Amino acid sequence: MTSVRRMTKRCSFVMLLFSTHAVSLAQYPEKPITLIVPYAAGGSNDLNARVFTSFIDDYLGQPMLIKLVPGQAGQKGTLEAVRSAPDGHTLLFTDNYRDQLHRYTFRNQAYDTNQDLVPVARVNYGEIGIIARTDGPYETWAQFEADARARPGELTMSHSGLWVALFVPALQIMKNLGLQMRMVPYRGGGPAKAALMAGDVHMSMAFPATVAADVEAGRVRILATAGPERILEGVPSFAEIGLPPTTGFMHRVVMAPAAIPQDRLAILRQAFAQMQQEGAYQQLMARLGENTEYLDGTDYQAIRIRQSDDYRELAESLLVQ
Amino acid sequence: MFETLLVGLDAALRIDTFVWISGGLLLGMLMGSLPGFTTTMGMSILVPISFLVGDPLIGIPFLIGVYKGGIYGGSVPAILISMPGTGASIATVFDGHELTKKGQPRKALEMGLYASVISDLFSDLFTLVMIIPVAAVVLGFGPPEVASVMFLSLVIIAVTSTGPVIKGLIMLCLGVWFGFIGADPFSGTARYTFGTNELYDGFHMIPMLIGLFALPEIFAAVKEGDRTGSSIARFVGDRLRLAEFKKSLRTIFRSTAIGTAIGLVPGLGQPIAAMMGYIAAKNASDTPENFGKGELDGVAGAEAANNAVNGPTMVPLLTLGIPGDAVTALLLGAFMMQGLRPGPTLLETSGEIVFAILIAMVLANILFLMIGYLTIPLFARVVTVKRSLLIPVTIMLAFSGTYLARSNPFDIVTLIGFGLVGIAARTARFDVAPMVMGFILGRELEYTFGQTLALAGNDWVRFAFVERIGMTAVVVATPIIGVLLGARMNRFRQRTLARDQA
Repeated sequence: MTSVRRMTKRCSFVMLLFSTHAVSLAQYPEKPITLIVPYAAGGSNDLNARVFTSFIDDYLGQPMLIKLVPGQAGQKGTLEAVRSAPDGHTLLFTDNYRDQLHRYTFRNQAYDTNQDLVPVARVNYGEIGIIARTDGPYETWAQFEADARARPGELTMSHSGLWVALFVPALQIMKNLGLQMRMVPYRGGGPAKAALMAGDVHMSMAFPATVAADVEAGRVRILATAGPERILEGVPSFAEIGLPPTTGFMHRVVMAPAAIPQDRLAILRQAFAQMQQEGAYQQLMARLGENTEYLDGTDYQAIRIRQSDDYRELAESLLVQ
Repeated sequence: MFETLLVGLDAALRIDTFVWISGGLLLGMLMGSLPGFTTTMGMSILVPISFLVGDPLIGIPFLIGVYKGGIYGGSVPAILISMPGTGASIATVFDGHELTKKGQPRKALEMGLYASVISDLFSDLFTLVMIIPVAAVVLGFGPPEVASVMFLSLVIIAVTSTGPVIKGLIMLCLGVWFGFIGADPFSGTARYTFGTNELYDGFHMIPMLIGLFALPEIFAAVKEGDRTGSSIARFVGDRLRLAEFKKSLRTIFRSTAIGTAIGLVPGLGQPIAAMMGYIAAKNASDTPENFGKGELDGVAGAEAANNAVNGPTMVPLLTLGIPGDAVTALLLGAFMMQGLRPGPTLLETSGEIVFAILIAMVLANILFLMIGYLTIPLFARVVTVKRSLLIPVTIMLAFSGTYLARSNPFDIVTLIGFGLVGIAARTARFDVAPMVMGFILGRELEYTFGQTLALAGNDWVRFAFVERIGMTAVVVATPIIGVLLGARMNRFRQRTLARDQA
C-alpha cells in the first residue's frame, strides 16, 4: 500500500529532525521548508495545504512543514513571510484577495505584496457560484435580479467574512449591476450556507463543490457561476449576467519572498510542476472537490497584476463614500 | 433504517478500528493536556494521517478519538496546575484545582473522567438514535436564537457569581469590554487598539485564561514560600469512592442534558456548556456554598457538560454537510478525502458507513474510560513533585502554552497583563469567572446581535413577533429567570454569612 509507505517515510523524516548528527546537504533545499499559512485551522486553505504538502516532499527532497499564522485578516502571516530570510526555506500560501485586494482595503499594511512577494505556483482556483434555495422564489438569476432591483436594500445575502471569497464577488455584483443587498456576515462558508438553507437569507454564494450534495438532493439551486463561460449546463456565467470575467475567482497561490535566489525559485517551481503528474495528489484534491488547475508562477504573475487594477477600482469606488 | 444500523454495527466491530481510536484518544489526551495546544490544532496536524489511510472506518474514528481525548485532556492541567488548556475546561478549574490543593487530585481526575465518559456516551447514543429527527430542528437555530441564549447566559452568570452581585457585575462588564477590543466584525473598524496592529484581532482567549487562573496561583505559591522543600501532597490522593460517584450521578445526567442541548445549537460550544453545567449543579446542590472550595459535584457538572457537546455537533455535519466550527470543518475534509460527501444524500447512499462511524463513536467511550483510567495515576503524580521544582515548570508551561496557541509574541504581554489583573482580583476578592465569560459571551453576543439586526431590516416588529418568536420568548423570559435565580442565590449567600458569623 502506497499510503503506508508514505507514512513510514513521514515518520522517518520526523526521526531525522530529532537526530543529533543531521547530515548537511550542499544542495537546496538543505532543510525542511516552512510554509506559512495565514489562516485559522480547519478552513479550506488549511486543508488544501495539508494535501499538497503531503506530496511535495517527494519532489523537493525535504518535507514542507505548515505553520499556521492566522490574524489580522492574513496580514500577520504575510508579514512574517515577507520578513523571513529570502533563502527559499520560508514560503507563504495565500490567495488573491489577501495578496491583491487587501492592499487597498487595509491601508496601513507594513509591506507591499507586489514588491515583496513573487509567485512560485498557483496550486488551484475556485470559481464561485450564486446559490438560492430550491423551494424559494428564485428559479433563475434574472428573477432574483428583478426582485433585487424592485426592492433595493431589502434582500439579504449571507457571506463568510469581510473582504474574502463570498464578500468580494457580492460587492462586484452590486457595483456592476447597480443592486443593493443587505450583507449578513457568518463565521465561514459552512454557517453562511446553513443560513441560506434555513431560509434566513435570500441568497448566498458558494464554490460549487461545497454545495454539490445539496444540489443533488434538490435543496439548493445554482443561479450563475463565475468566469467567461458556462461551467454548468443551463446556468449562466458571470459574463452573461454582466460582470467582468475575473469576478469571483479565488486563486490559491504559493509565494516566496521577492529576494529569493533565482535558481532556488526555479527548483521550487519545478517541484510544483512535477507534482502535478502524481495520481494520488490529483485524486485527493478531486475528493476534496478542488481542481488541480496548476499555473506556473511566471504565468500567474500576469493575472496577478491585472487583478490588482480591478481591485483598486473596486476598493476606490467603495471606500471613497 | 434498523437494518442499516445492524450492518453498521457489524462494520464497526473491527480490531484495527479499535486500535486507531485508542491511538487517537491517547494523542488527543496528550495534546489536550498541553496548555495552549487546542483540540483544533491537534486535529489539524493529524488530519493528513486520516487522508492517507484509505479506509473511512479507520481514518475518521481516529480523528474522533483525538477530538474526545482532547476535550478531556484539557481538564488535566486545569485540575492539577489551575491552567485551563482549552476554553472547554474553564469551569473545571474552580473546584478541580481546589481538590488538588487539598491533596485529592486523583479524586478530581477520576470524577472528571467518569463524568466525561458517561456524558459522551449518552450524547453519542442520543445522536445515533435521533440523528434524523434532530436534523430537521437544527436549522431552526439562527443568529437571533443564539443571540438570545447568549443574553440569557450572561444574565445567569451575573446573578450566580460567587460573592456580592455587584462585584460579579463589575467583572462581567469588564470582560465584555475586553471583548470589544479589536476590529469591529461588521465594518472592520479598529476599536481601542491605539493604532497598533497587535490589538487588531483583540485579546486571545488562551493567554487570558492562563493569566487569570494560573498566574495568581503561582504568585500565591511563591509568596507563601517553600522552606520545608515539600510537595503539595506525598501521595496522589484517594480514589473516588462509589458513594461519592453515586451522589454526583444526578449532576452528571443533568449536565449531559444541558451539554447535548447546547451542542445542538450551532455556535454555542463547549465553554458555555461547561459554565452552564457548573452553574446548574451549584444551583441544584444542597450545599452551594461549598462550590469553588473543592466540591466534587462541581467537577462533574463542568466535565459532563463539555463532553456532551461532542455528539450533537456531528448532526449538522452528517445530515446537512454543514460544519459548525473548526473541528467539524476538519472532519468534513476527512470525510471528503474518503470519498464520502456529508450532506442530505449521505445517509441514503452510505448509511451503513455513517452508522458504523457513529457506533464507533459510542464504542470509543469504552476505550476512553480504559485509557483515561490507566493514565490518571501518571498525571496525578504531578502533585508529588516538590513545589520548588513544580512551580518553575508551571511558569514555563504558562508562557510556552501562550506562545504555542498562535505564535504571537504579543500574547506574552497579554498573559502578564491578565496575570496582574488576576492577582489584583484575588487580593480584592473579586471572582474572575464572570470576567472570562463576559469576554467570551460578549464578543459572540455582539456578533450574533449584529447579524440579527442585519437579518431583521426595517420591519423588526414582524421579525421579532412573527418570524423569530423563539428569540423573543427567550429575551422576555430572561429577566424573570434572572430575578428568580438571583433571589435563590441571595438566600444561600445570607445563610453562609449567618453561619460564618455564628
